[in-house]
Amino acid sequence: MFAIARTELIQIFRNRLVLVTSFIIPVAISAYFIYQHEVFTQLGSLGYIAAIVMFTVGAFGLYTSTVTTLASRRQNLFLKRLRSTAESDAGILAGLVLPATVVAIVQVVGILAVLGAVVGGPDNVLLLVVAVIATVAMMIGLALATAGVTNSPEHAQVTTLPVSLGVIAVASWVGITGTEELAQVKRILPGGAATELVLNAWNGGVALSDSLILLAPTFAWVVVAVSFATRMFRWEPRR
Amino acid sequence: MSTTPVIVERLNLKYGDFHAVKDLSFEVRPGELYALLGTNGAGKTSTLETIEGHRTPTSGTVRVFGHSPADRTTVRPRMGIMLQESGFSPDLTVRESVGLIGTLTKRTDDVDRVIDIVDLTRKAGTKVGQLSGGEKRRLDFATAVYGTPELIFLDEPTTGLDIQSRDHLWNAVDRLRENGSTVVLTTHYLEEAQQRADRIGLMHQGVFHREGTVTELTRALPAVIGFTLVAPAPALPLQAAVATDGSVRVETFELQKDLHVLLAWAQDNALELRDLTAGPTRLDDVFRAIES
Repeated sequence: MFAIARTELIQIFRNRLVLVTSFIIPVAISAYFIYQHEVFTQLGSLGYIAAIVMFTVGAFGLYTSTVTTLASRRQNLFLKRLRSTAESDAGILAGLVLPATVVAIVQVVGILAVLGAVVGGPDNVLLLVVAVIATVAMMIGLALATAGVTNSPEHAQVTTLPVSLGVIAVASWVGITGTEELAQVKRILPGGAATELVLNAWNGGVALSDSLILLAPTFAWVVVAVSFATRMFRWEPRR
Repeated sequence: MSTTPVIVERLNLKYGDFHAVKDLSFEVRPGELYALLGTNGAGKTSTLETIEGHRTPTSGTVRVFGHSPADRTTVRPRMGIMLQESGFSPDLTVRESVGLIGTLTKRTDDVDRVIDIVDLTRKAGTKVGQLSGGEKRRLDFATAVYGTPELIFLDEPTTGLDIQSRDHLWNAVDRLRENGSTVVLTTHYLEEAQQRADRIGLMHQGVFHREGTVTELTRALPAVIGFTLVAPAPALPLQAAVATDGSVRVETFELQKDLHVLLAWAQDNALELRDLTAGPTRLDDVFRAIES
């Protein structure tokens, strides 16, 4: 697993397009949100900024790059090559996904640390960590599922749009309007409960037990995505 | 535990309604080079990929060293696989690619030694995306033989290689066999199989038609003597097919004896046998016989 992860990391840094679109642009967008934090705090709250930067990295740095990587490795038969070795399927997937995941977590932690330094830290750091981990797990699950219906890296530009734009839209909707209205609808949408969790962790004012319940819909999305991926994921291109 | 490298029993493979492999049974013995040959779409690669563990049989059993090929952690460290199409990451170098796949096989070897076997030392630092098709095939071979596995699958290994590279590759295979490796080969170059295979399995439309050594396969068909008569001649001393343009075709199971008879007849009658050809039955002829 770690041998695969190491070479994947090498490839990320050798491919400038991936580096820019998946890792530099999310950081640039996040920097803009922090720079304009007063505007966005008025629009939503500080928690909204934290949620939106987390989902920007999660959607583009993690989800899109993972789908693109898996589709690319399948298209050029690299997945088949890896399956010709003694490595397990789980080890292969973990190795392929690990570098983007670690980079995304480092990005989110770094960006939120800067946000905290600029505007003041979150109310509950531990809850925020849980929210980030849950969101990362959900985005990886959705990436594996989406990779199952993505034939090529070019195709990934289309297949990733519904989820990547969708979770950012949901995060914005929940972050700006809150969950006083249509709470159940917002919570069952992908990213809705995770956004509320970040809002609670950063802004405070909500009982911990009420916040932890929000993990259920987030992990439900992980289960749905992984079960879909189990059925749909292909190791070789369709002939 | 079985030491027989490969045992296939009543293997069937279906893709939807298409029955790609039908009731296939054979085994590959330790140390031999077994060639699986066949016409296009005969089911060779499907069979090979099932033995490798890439496909699941519809029915029947496949055993590799006594284990299911799906038992990757047990079986794969003992086998090297050269796929029909190379699958490498274009952004990795030759050395990185060999090192990665080599590590994942759980065998140990010196990466530079393996690269040298396939004559890619000069390209060790080159990205795979910049290699030619032939160089990628050699890289493919390098990853298959990393750590000198006991069982090596070579699926069309010399396709796209120049003559020098082919010789290089076969020399490497010879050295591996000297070390006791068993080789399973598919190829469209019949002369390679004829020269190198200990035994051959011939497939056509998913079915095993014949199996045996080259001698066993070819002796079932007659050798052919061909020539053209340019002048009127007395009755031929052998049974032959004579065309209107004077070309003659003699089929024989006793090539040397009948050729001698024919030459003596020509000598006695002062005849010229123009474009005289005579040769033993080749695998090509066996193939054509199967196809027809």
